[in-house]
Amino acid sequence: MAQPRQRSMRSDLAEIIADFGRSRDLLTQLTLRDIRVRYKQAAFGFAWALVIPVTIVLAGLAVRVAISYASGHALETQQLARMAVKSIPWAFFVGCIGSATPSLVGNITLVTKIYFPREVLPIAACLAQTFDTAIGIVAVALVLPFLGVHASVQLLWVPVLLVLLWALAAAAGLFLSCANLFFRDVKYMVQVFLSFGIFFTPVLVDAPMFGPRFAGIIMLNPVSPILEGLRLAVVDQHNLLEPVFSQPGNWISWHPWYLVYSAIWAIGGLLLAALFFHRSERRFALYV
Amino acid sequence: MTGARIAFDHVWMKFHRGEMHDSLRDLLPALARKALQRGPAAADLAEGDFWAVRDLSFEVLPGQVLGIIGANGSGKSTTLRILTKILEPTRGRCTINGRVGALIEVSAGFHGDLTGRENVFLQGAIMGLRSRDIARKFDEIVEFSGIEAFIDTPVKRYSSGMNARLGFSIAAHMDPDVLIIDEVLAVGDYLFQERAFGRISDLAESGIPVVVVSHQLDRISQLCTDAILLERGVPTFRGAPDDCIAAYVQPSPEAAGEGAAGAGAAEASGPIAFRSAVILDGADIRSGDWCTVRVEGVVHGHVAPTIDPLLIRVRSLTTGKVVFVSGLRQLGLELPQGRGFVANVQLQANLAPGSYLIEAASLDTLTRQNLAHSPATMLRVTDPGTFRGTAQLNARIEFEPAIRERAG
Repeated sequence: MAQPRQRSMRSDLAEIIADFGRSRDLLTQLTLRDIRVRYKQAAFGFAWALVIPVTIVLAGLAVRVAISYASGHALETQQLARMAVKSIPWAFFVGCIGSATPSLVGNITLVTKIYFPREVLPIAACLAQTFDTAIGIVAVALVLPFLGVHASVQLLWVPVLLVLLWALAAAAGLFLSCANLFFRDVKYMVQVFLSFGIFFTPVLVDAPMFGPRFAGIIMLNPVSPILEGLRLAVVDQHNLLEPVFSQPGNWISWHPWYLVYSAIWAIGGLLLAALFFHRSERRFALYV
Repeated sequence: MTGARIAFDHVWMKFHRGEMHDSLRDLLPALARKALQRGPAAADLAEGDFWAVRDLSFEVLPGQVLGIIGANGSGKSTTLRILTKILEPTRGRCTINGRVGALIEVSAGFHGDLTGRENVFLQGAIMGLRSRDIARKFDEIVEFSGIEAFIDTPVKRYSSGMNARLGFSIAAHMDPDVLIIDEVLAVGDYLFQERAFGRISDLAESGIPVVVVSHQLDRISQLCTDAILLERGVPTFRGAPDDCIAAYVQPSPEAAGEGAAGAGAAEASGPIAFRSAVILDGADIRSGDWCTVRVEGVVHGHVAPTIDPLLIRVRSLTTGKVVFVSGLRQLGLELPQGRGFVANVQLQANLAPGSYLIEAASLDTLTRQNLAHSPATMLRVTDPGTFRGTAQLNARIEFEPAIRERAG
């Protein structure tokens, strides 16, 4: 009689989707809260949304100046465009993880006092970050023509890649917020990742610059194919369904399978993270 | 909604005393230990575990208001958290049919940097209200809270009272099918408390199932149709609210064990045992009226001169404090000779409106120890409408004629 309910993956996923359906308004309000709180009493206002991407581009510029001096190749404006295109999604990814990870512990009074589907907390953090990113995307779109990049049909890849990135960020946010509630040192690991992740992801540099041996390794990072894809589609106007051959040696620096690889991480990760989150949700109040 | 219902079906809840594994460093050795030795079965108590709630069952149907009372640590909060789905019971099941309204932590979702207006929408959404419903009721909510003038001020500048009033107003304007109420009856100042209590009474009387947890026993007595007394997670008494409150307030710890309200809950040590204490005029009287308490008792042995064999103790349910004690010694009276006695104690209820518990007791005047006491009986003092305060001083006001002449 008092048996615990049988759980199956399908019923859990149905529950998660139903929860989100019911809490649309809550998701909206929490997202608004996060956005409002970020911009209230902030001297720079919405300019803050650009501070991090601009800093990333400047850091990249520093790195590339050094590379160009060491290699003897001159710096091109296209390289600036490449960094600009990749800095916004990287800032988004880092921002999502940074704000989603503490989202449960930071709202602990809510989690222990009032019932609502807890998934909305990390997801709202990601949505608030999306708002910042939207400002960044508009800014980059305005700047790109001045850097010699013009519109092409390959821009149609951008929404696909952004959806994959969003799914990846949401998966990481769900998983890490939950893990951080159970183990508080997760927060510190995340900080390390946020500081050094940029060196293991082709943000400031492009994957082919690592050469045939190491480019493949850097592309194992599921974020790498998405960022490289954005660069190829937007700046190099390359169709992502076709491989890219790099010199010297005519090695393959981009292959459509990279995209599939990232998609598997994004979709599979989101499903698993949502399930993991949903199943540990009932223990949150106990473990806090 | 018909079919609305709250049910607890043999609910057990286990907690762990002490620290949980908070960091990975703690977890790994613990996992290793678990893997090496055979762990205890999930339903049994491991070392450091304890039952916060043990085998609690109840059902609340439309029209019923269940009060849950008990000392701190008796499992009330755990019960509430299971009711609101924050915790899942270790064993047993909690079923709620209908949309749950919870008057619990009514301003927990507030963010200090947001204005009152923004927080109304945020907190409402957290409580499960739709944004358009909040928008529809917004004016009503703000008016009820009485802080219209500050609704566009960030709540970090609110006083704690204003915070609580706004939170309560939001929660009180949900249209729930079932209602769960925590200690929110003590929100804001006196006037707001009255208004809040009125609102809760209206909700309770609208016929939805309600569960109330409160330390304000007089509110429980006014609001509830049934009550459960929890002690260390075990329901030790259930029945009419007044009987339940009496079982809770009675000072002797052993009386709570079994048959707390049953007659003759006597301590073995004293020479007197009480059979009953009953108010003859009925439990409801107007402030200032007289009532008679009939006390029956048995004398077992020698009544030492240091013992006051019969005293009457009146305790306020609002505060839990003793408001009146008087006994034979103080009044200069003697217990009549014989094995048993029946005493009619006349009292004038010069008391503020509210609920009071009356009991007879015998006391060792040296050690101030209760030797025996009768089951408590509830006296409800109704409002005569002639005064406010905590005591009836029977004010008489006369005007001197001289003043009238001077004025004329």
